[in-house]
Amino acid sequence: MKIRRKPAYQEKVFKPGLVPPVVSAILSAIIPGLGQALSRMVRRGVVLFFSFATIVGLMIWRFQLAAPRDTGVVDIVKKAFHLDPIMILISVLFILLYLANIYDAYKVAVNSRKTEPRKPFLVFVALILVFFFIGWQIGKIDVYALVTQFDDAIPALSRVLWPWERAITYPEEEWEGTALMETPCTDPPPALNTPAEEGPYLIVDPACGEPTTQEENEAGESIVYPGTELHVLGYGFLPDEVVELWWRDPAGSKFRQRQDGDIITVIPDENGEFEIDIVWPYRIIPPSYREGISEWELQGRQITAIGEWEFSEELILAIEKMIETIFIGMMATFFGIIMALPVSFLAARNLMSANVFTLGIYYLVRGVLNIIRSIEPLIWAVLAVIIVGLGPWAGILALTIHSVAALGKLYSEAIESIDNGPIEAVQATGANWFQIVMYAVVPQVIPPFVSFTIYRWDVNIRMSTVIGMVGGGGIGYLLVQWIRNLDYRAAGIAVWFIAVTVAILDYVSAEIRERFT
Amino acid sequence: MLEIQHLTKIYEDGTLAVDDVSFTVPDGEFMVVIGLSGSGKSTLLRCINRLIDPTDGEIIWNGVDLAKLEGEDLRKARRKIGMVFQHFNLVERSNVLTNILTGRLGYNKTWPTLIHRFPKEDRDKAWEVLRRMDIEDQALKAARELSGGQQQRVGISRALMQDPELMLADEPVASLDPVLAHSILQHLEMLNKEDGLTIMCSLHYLDLVQRYSTSVIGLRDGKLVYQGTKKDIANMSDEEFKQIYGEDAERIGGSLEGNLDEKGGLA
Repeated sequence: MKIRRKPAYQEKVFKPGLVPPVVSAILSAIIPGLGQALSRMVRRGVVLFFSFATIVGLMIWRFQLAAPRDTGVVDIVKKAFHLDPIMILISVLFILLYLANIYDAYKVAVNSRKTEPRKPFLVFVALILVFFFIGWQIGKIDVYALVTQFDDAIPALSRVLWPWERAITYPEEEWEGTALMETPCTDPPPALNTPAEEGPYLIVDPACGEPTTQEENEAGESIVYPGTELHVLGYGFLPDEVVELWWRDPAGSKFRQRQDGDIITVIPDENGEFEIDIVWPYRIIPPSYREGISEWELQGRQITAIGEWEFSEELILAIEKMIETIFIGMMATFFGIIMALPVSFLAARNLMSANVFTLGIYYLVRGVLNIIRSIEPLIWAVLAVIIVGLGPWAGILALTIHSVAALGKLYSEAIESIDNGPIEAVQATGANWFQIVMYAVVPQVIPPFVSFTIYRWDVNIRMSTVIGMVGGGGIGYLLVQWIRNLDYRAAGIAVWFIAVTVAILDYVSAEIRERFT
Repeated sequence: MLEIQHLTKIYEDGTLAVDDVSFTVPDGEFMVVIGLSGSGKSTLLRCINRLIDPTDGEIIWNGVDLAKLEGEDLRKARRKIGMVFQHFNLVERSNVLTNILTGRLGYNKTWPTLIHRFPKEDRDKAWEVLRRMDIEDQALKAARELSGGQQQRVGISRALMQDPELMLADEPVASLDPVLAHSILQHLEMLNKEDGLTIMCSLHYLDLVQRYSTSVIGLRDGKLVYQGTKKDIANMSDEEFKQIYGEDAERIGGSLEGNLDEKGGLA
């Protein structure tokens, strides 16, 4: 092959700027960057111009947002400064940047006659600072809130960090004693409850009365008419265990007894007896249950742990969902490999540059892969849920789509980077195409393929832990559910499982990849 | 006998790499091709076994024009032409035995070879070649674990497995130090003398050319500028050498003969 000689190295000639320094500075004062551009530093001029345009646009937006009710530039600025003092800092920095830009335009014009171009250090620093503080303002960054509110979050956080109390439960038994009540009272009133032969019971005196009622007067205020005062006696309960008082209304729905808004509980003495005065509570009852004599029931409930500990429902659920998660990631990786293998050959430039047609396929495949890859798996999961509904299948679909694109790109790059030498050598022995691929291409691409595949498997399992948050199955779904229910201990169990699994996986995948590089 | 007639290669970008070259290589010759980097040596050698398709000209070998062969016929012709490369071109992750067995691919059916099945005679032959090249004990190592000199001997072994009648060697010693260079060239010389294998080899160093060649051609900018016998090259003056290599050339390398053991191996 012929070597093409490069032209002899020529020293770059710096032509003088088009405008004198003062004019350059004035031009940059009017349109930032113009002076620099005319001093033959076009790129710097363009960058400066667009930076200023962006900053001014952002500042107008943030100032109006900070002072939404004001009109007039001065009023808006005043109000914004007052309400959001960081705006003052941004404005000062902006003015500094503006001055630096003018100074830079001047110096650039002066220096354009020399060989060494001037480094835009001051402008650069000012630019970074302005963007930093605008970002601070837009991001509503509030270190104060982080520090002061941290204390309040500690109970919740500590439950997440150490959730294991929730990992085990004891089987529970409900211990319940009841008494029937009637309203309105009849004449003669119903008899008091009689002692039960077995188990706990309540005796309520009187056994009939009126619930609390509520009425609205003309002024719109609600007036409460308290119900009958009831003297409740409990017998046969477990000593020293909390008794909850519940009502069953005539419609059959159950609710707890409250007094002044607080839930009422009592603790029986060593004989299992207690005594308490309550007011018959207020309850909205459907009209059909209000006719004639309706029957209420007062219940005293104890819940006690009996027998040995066992794993809690949440722990078992978390384990089940974690297994599901791992398999979602695994299946997605399998499908990804199967589909990415053929695709990667179509996306390898060295194999596809034979003619215009194959090159066209190459660009098409590459383009599609890049688009698919740029959309996050979470978004694919949302789309997959629309098609196949909630559950692991949607998650597998979403991760598969993303894996095909990611693996296709990685594989094709591995194919592109193979050494042509062995191919040439095997070809020279008289081998045919299949033999060349098997003996010269495959041995070269196996290590990177294995390495990329393991990496992808790792990524897929990590992704599958969050894909459940949008309905793609796996542990993410549980996590979101528990967090929304403020069940921080259960959520903590899920977080622990995710963390441990990902850590183990990280280690294993790194180990395997090490062997193949 | 290999007859090259008016061979020309113009690359797609318009580079004229080989320009109307004609010469003859009688059987049993150790012909050395000399010339600067970029003078067209590699292109010329690759045209002969058609790793590169020539633009024009004929390559007549045993009465067949290799330049016109296609498909199956071309592969059959390639089987009889071994090739050794500057960078060895071994599959580095595969072991030495597998690398060598690739030399038999052209003689075997496709499907068995795809699952790495070779007939027993091929395997026996591989061990025999390994013994001859003195790398028997490296057979099961990955090719990349071997030293440069050993790798090139694997390269030669692979070519030998083809039962070649012609051996092309493209700068076989350019990646090796001078001592190993002699060792490798002595192996090639042995094949040339013992088996009567015709060898076409491109070399850089004049002393190696003088020591091993039986005839020489010189290329410059793709043109044939020199043709001589062993005697001619032995008497070659610096002026003539400079004509081929251009003004920048110097006589590189010193005499290392005699420092080698009998087998020529130092590895």
